[in-house]
Amino acid sequence: MVENSPSPLPERAIYGFVLFLSSQFGFMLYLVWAFIPETWLNSIGLTYWPQKYWAVALPVYLLITIVITYILIFGINMVNTSRLDSVHTVTDNYAKNQPQKKSQEKAVLALKDIPISEVNQMFFIAARGLYPQS
Amino acid sequence: MEVERIFSDIYGGRLALQRRQYSPFCREFCLGCPRLSLRSLTAATCTVWLVAYGLFTLCQNSMVLSAAIFITLLGLLGYLHFVKIDQETLLIIGSLGIQMTSSYASGKESTTFIEMGKVKDVVINEAIYMQKVIYYLCILLKDPVEPQGVSQVVPVFQSAKPRLDCLIEVYRSCQEILALQKVTSGSP
Repeated sequence: MVENSPSPLPERAIYGFVLFLSSQFGFMLYLVWAFIPETWLNSIGLTYWPQKYWAVALPVYLLITIVITYILIFGINMVNTSRLDSVHTVTDNYAKNQPQKKSQEKAVLALKDIPISEVNQMFFIAARGLYPQS
Repeated sequence: MEVERIFSDIYGGRLALQRRQYSPFCREFCLGCPRLSLRSLTAATCTVWLVAYGLFTLCQNSMVLSAAIFITLLGLLGYLHFVKIDQETLLIIGSLGIQMTSSYASGKESTTFIEMGKVKDVVINEAIYMQKVIYYLCILLKDPVEPQGVSQVVPVFQSAKPRLDCLIEVYRSCQEILALQKVTSGSP
C-alpha cells in the first residue's frame, strides 16, 4: 500500500526546481515581449509574436475575473439557499430513505436523522430550563 | 381571556402578541407588526423628490416634477395596500383546522385556512434568510402518499418575523391543542 505523505522526497525537489525555473523563464519572456520595441524584435527575426496589446489586456482580464468570481460565488450561494417554505429545510432524500435499525440495549444509538417534531418536543417542551420562560 | 405581551422581531422592532382563548380547543394569536415609521416615509419621499429635482435641472422639463409627485402618491398607496402588513393572526381550532389572517395597512385582509386532516405538526424551524439564520414557526402538512412524510411547509408570521421567545409561547400553546386533538381523535 502506497502511503501519501507530504514529506520531502528527491523527486519532489526536482519537480519544484523545474517549476521554479520554468516560471522564472516565463516571467522573463513576458517582460521581454512587453517592453522591447517591435522594431528591435523584428530586426532579431522574431516577427510572429502576438500584439503587445495583449501584454496589458490579459492581466486586466485576469484581475476582473477574480473580482467577478467573488461576487458570482456570493450570488450563486444566495440563489441556491432554500426558501423558507421549501420542504428541503426539514428533510431530504437521505433522511427519508434512511434504514430503520433497532437500537440495542445499553449501546450508543446509531447516527440517524431525528424528525423535526421530535427535536422540537425535546427542546421546547421537555427541557423547559433551556429557554427561560419570561 | 385576553393577554397582551410585548416582544421584538428579528430586526429589533416592537411586536405586540395578543393571546385569546375561546375554548379549551380554540385559541387565537394576534401579532401586531411595527407601524410605518415617519422617518422611513420622509426619507423615501425626499430621495424620490431630490432625484426628480436633479432630473429637472438636467432636462428643464417640469413634467418630471409632477411625475415624481404622482409616483410618490401611487407608490405609497400601493405599498399600504399590497405590502405593509399591520397585523397577523393565527387561529387554531382543535377539531377543525388552522386559519392564518394577514390584515394590510389599507384594511385589506387575506385569509388562508388549512383543515386539521392535512396538518401533521406545528414546529419551530431554523433556516437561512438573507444573511441571517432565523427561527420561524411553520405548519407541516401531511403527505397523502407516505404517512410519515412531509409534503409541504407553510411558514406563519412571515412579515412579523418574531424572535424565539415569542415563537416558543405560540408553539407551546399550539402543541397543547394538538395533543388534545390527538387524544380525542385517537380514542374511538
